[in-house]
Amino acid sequence: MILRKFEYLRPASIKEALELYDKFEGGAVYLSGGTDLVPRMKLGLERPSAVIDIKQIAPLKRVEDQGEWVKIGSLVPLFDLRQEGWVVDNFPALKASLDATSCETLQMRGTIGGNLLQNSRCLFYNQSVFWRKSKGFCFKMGGDKCNAVPGAKRCFANYCSDNATSLSTLTCELELSGPDGARRIALDELYSGKPGKPFKVRAGEILTAIFVKKENTQGGYEKLRLRGSIDYPLLGLAFSLKDGKGTLAVGAVGAKPRAVELTEFKKDSVKEAVDTLLKDLTPVNNTVVEASYRKQMVPVMAERLIKKTVEGA
Amino acid sequence: MEQFKIISFEVNGEPIEVEVRPHETLLETLRNRLELTGAKEGCGLGACGSCTVLVNGVPTRSCIVLTAEVEGSKITTIEGLAEGERLDPLQESFMEKGAVQCGFCTPGMILTAKALLDRNPRPTKEEIITTLSSNVCRCTGYKKILEAVEAASSQ
Repeated sequence: MILRKFEYLRPASIKEALELYDKFEGGAVYLSGGTDLVPRMKLGLERPSAVIDIKQIAPLKRVEDQGEWVKIGSLVPLFDLRQEGWVVDNFPALKASLDATSCETLQMRGTIGGNLLQNSRCLFYNQSVFWRKSKGFCFKMGGDKCNAVPGAKRCFANYCSDNATSLSTLTCELELSGPDGARRIALDELYSGKPGKPFKVRAGEILTAIFVKKENTQGGYEKLRLRGSIDYPLLGLAFSLKDGKGTLAVGAVGAKPRAVELTEFKKDSVKEAVDTLLKDLTPVNNTVVEASYRKQMVPVMAERLIKKTVEGA
Repeated sequence: MEQFKIISFEVNGEPIEVEVRPHETLLETLRNRLELTGAKEGCGLGACGSCTVLVNGVPTRSCIVLTAEVEGSKITTIEGLAEGERLDPLQESFMEKGAVQCGFCTPGMILTAKALLDRNPRPTKEEIITTLSSNVCRCTGYKKILEAVEAASSQ
């Protein structure tokens, strides 16, 4: 599988990267680990005129203790983040989702920023041009139909970041730098809610850091997957508990992770929380397993995860 | 006219300067320009691990890395593991245990295992399984592969 032609650029600073982006008038993409972007380019899902490799920008590779917050540079590899003291000791949901992400080799290449900004996926979309042509282009490819749900009026692609789901259960903010300067937003403000174009990142903006509030939490992450390694989540559930207050999040269904808070952890309360989450979830047959199975696994995995966390707390 | 870039890096201890296209992958450069055909193209999308090489000691899917990205790096391919006539203990162990069936995944398996043993010379069986689950063997011959890595780690 070959890549189409593009220019390759390697800026040494954010300022230089932004200037280069501007030069290509919207035709450039930023490259970090490339574990999502390069396969997308190979499948013709991205056709940039220039690839701006931001890996030489050293400040984006650091983890810093900043008083109330831990600042995680967007280029920190997932494998390194798994071993960070704060993550191991205080954010078990994030630790578990990092462990569950893909496989070790791809964790060494993939970065936390890239993991959050991975594009949404669908069994009928992440395919070669040849394959996609045979069905006709769908909404996400710029067409006028959904190939997963015949007759549907919208896209149902799934956002499959394991770590976005766990970060949704913690207090998390993002820093983005763009042509108009830097801005800091809550994690949830990153999402458009639309699977076709899942992020509200402005043209030219670079995700520079992930801030996680320094709180002592208990928790975990459960991933529904077939192979146990390399694969994307068919469903991801994260739970974090702090001072008797819990946050349960579900990801890999639809455009963004959904979270709900709960203070009681008995079976009925968990069921109520899951029912609230399920109202916003519409799993469809766009993964390798049936939608009904994914839906039925939400309460099963939620109950298991919460029970394990509460008993261990 | 197509633009070429001159990229310098080290392959198996040898400094290399090579003219590549900006959209050329490391796997393409290794196989087509440097005639190092040990790394194989399986899925071509970074999933299967058969193209794994070491970049500064880190196992890396060379099919999803641009050659331009490895400027100044040290690359080790399967061809660079032996010292002269002496094979790496992992290669010896793979032969000894019969851990090769069709052989397509073997270079990737060995280099992934090599990086593990370099950072953790005495891994547990669980750690070996976790690490090698990065690579796919479609002959499904994992048992002998795990035995080979276990044997090499206890040497």
